[in-house]
Amino acid sequence: MTTYIAQRLIIFFPMLLVISFLVYSGLELSPGDAVSHMISPELASTITAEQLDAMREAYGLNQSFITRYWIWLTSMVQGDMGYSMAGGVAISEIMIKTVPATLELSMVALFFSTILGCSLGVISALKRGSGTDNSLTVAGMAGVSIPEFFFGLVAILLFAIELKWLPVGGRLMPHYETVWDRIPNIVLPSLVLALMMTAGAMRYARSSMLDVLAREFITTARSKGMPEWRVNILHGFRVALTPVVVLIGFRLPLLIGGSTIIEQVYQWPGIGSMFIRSVRASDYPLVMTISLMYVFVVLTASLIIDVLTALIDPRVRLGKE
Amino acid sequence: MTDKNNIALSVKNLKTFFYTNNRCNKAVNGVSFDVEKGKTLCIVGESGCGKSVTAATIMQLLPTLSRIEEGEIIFHKDDKTVNIEKLEKNGKEMRNIRGSDIAMIFQDPMTALNPVYTVGFQISENLKYHTNLNRKEIREKSISLLNDMGIPLPEKRVDEYPHSYSGGMRQRAMIAMAMACNPKILIADEPTTALDVTIQAQIFELMEKLKEENDTAIILITHDMGVVAELADNVAVMYMGNIVEAGTADDVLRRPTHPYTKALLESVPVLGRGKNQDINPIKGSTPDPYNRPVGCQFAPRCNWQTESCDVMPEITQINKTHQIRCHKYEQFFEKYDEKRNS
Repeated sequence: MTTYIAQRLIIFFPMLLVISFLVYSGLELSPGDAVSHMISPELASTITAEQLDAMREAYGLNQSFITRYWIWLTSMVQGDMGYSMAGGVAISEIMIKTVPATLELSMVALFFSTILGCSLGVISALKRGSGTDNSLTVAGMAGVSIPEFFFGLVAILLFAIELKWLPVGGRLMPHYETVWDRIPNIVLPSLVLALMMTAGAMRYARSSMLDVLAREFITTARSKGMPEWRVNILHGFRVALTPVVVLIGFRLPLLIGGSTIIEQVYQWPGIGSMFIRSVRASDYPLVMTISLMYVFVVLTASLIIDVLTALIDPRVRLGKE
Repeated sequence: MTDKNNIALSVKNLKTFFYTNNRCNKAVNGVSFDVEKGKTLCIVGESGCGKSVTAATIMQLLPTLSRIEEGEIIFHKDDKTVNIEKLEKNGKEMRNIRGSDIAMIFQDPMTALNPVYTVGFQISENLKYHTNLNRKEIREKSISLLNDMGIPLPEKRVDEYPHSYSGGMRQRAMIAMAMACNPKILIADEPTTALDVTIQAQIFELMEKLKEENDTAIILITHDMGVVAELADNVAVMYMGNIVEAGTADDVLRRPTHPYTKALLESVPVLGRGKNQDINPIKGSTPDPYNRPVGCQFAPRCNWQTESCDVMPEITQINKTHQIRCHKYEQFFEKYDEKRNS
């Protein structure tokens, strides 16, 4: 097990390095450099080429691509993320403000969608062909195919504006004191964000469960005289869980991508809305840091998934020596 | 036919039908037999003749689209008798019988064990549900069961997963699991089909030993006539959901009377006769279960078919132990008498 995790970790860092290089190269290929974005359009005509060169030299932009990448990488590792070009705020400060909000939203959504998706999928499989199964199938299809922002808007209209049960959006209010005050704010965005994942996990859990229930060891378990719940859950679901966990892991980027949209819909002050703003403003250092952070999250997620599948399924642990 | 007190299980006119696509497959169509304590009953027949369905019916482990249509399965438990067919499929009473009084071994040990639990865990489940042993005793019992099955280093092996067991070892582990609660009846559904011949012999040796030590009745389902000759005390030959011939191993193997039994025996190659020996496979193939022949099910493939075969023959008792379902059995059976007299 330890060797297995160590193996995963050894792959983890080179992968992060390669992707960081790709992100940096992508930025290099985009039109203009940092200096051209620092100068406002009105001043652009009055500035001479010499002055531009002087500025480039001052910022170290006349150095070779590899050198600049190295400088960026080493300062990134040391925690210096640079400054946002819009307003000159330290990126680390922006991250500290926005990352917790996004993590909070995605983790709550992940939690809901995993629990709901798995249990509905299992129920669907156990009652195969029944009315419950059919309606869950239809609901699952709708959940997968209707875009999240649409659900988001409908939910606001229904629960916030018509019924007035929950707030329209936002995360923190000045008068909030305890964590409990914040719960009504997170309910709608997290549920809407969870919806698509739930539908996917449910469909997947259902088919995986049906597949396992037809296997011979289920008959063996039944032939030992154990109650149905134990046969279905301990022997069936436990084995069916592996592909579901892998699917949820692969879908994590979807959750993060989805949060970008949901944060817009619900005015959630997370990294997603910051990302959209920075792209609009061509704030490249910020775009780069946020992209890299997404990469980090996705890689970490897949690492966790690898470890989880190994925990669930002893055959995975074997691997290649 | 047999001493009443020695019967562990009797099946009477059992019918199990499958319903798919609005069609009915009469997989088991009126089967009757008795299983004696400490004896082995072999059920033989081609693929699809209803052997495994009969076994699954006794355990009430039928798939959802099938049901017991008619008949009785009477389990003699000590002094009481239980009508298994009347019990709720996954109800408490049925579950108490399963794994404790009647246990089952399956065909493919590669798929019959759950890959995510240790072998020890899977054996202990049986003990947990049917005995009052505590955790420590259960573990000790699991280890001693594995030891009895001839698994080396059982203390270590008990904590290993099925994927680190070989095929033969897995089947031993399956038998250990089945024998955990000293069942009165052990149903083995082609237990060695997936194993190679040397392992086969070991597994059967093990089953013989268990039968003698615990007085367990064994229902062995197989299509291997060699296995039948080796192990069976009683034999039932099935074809298309019916028993066509039944009797002691001597009756059926030495004086096969039904044309189907004869044909089965003739289609077995014999070791030592060389590669030029004549093997007579049974002509044709089993009929479509949805489009059965009228009358005797074997008639279309039978060399002795006559008009009288258009009526389903009844089970006839040739002598005390030997039963047959054929109109013309006398003609075949007399030959043996002639041989004996001459």
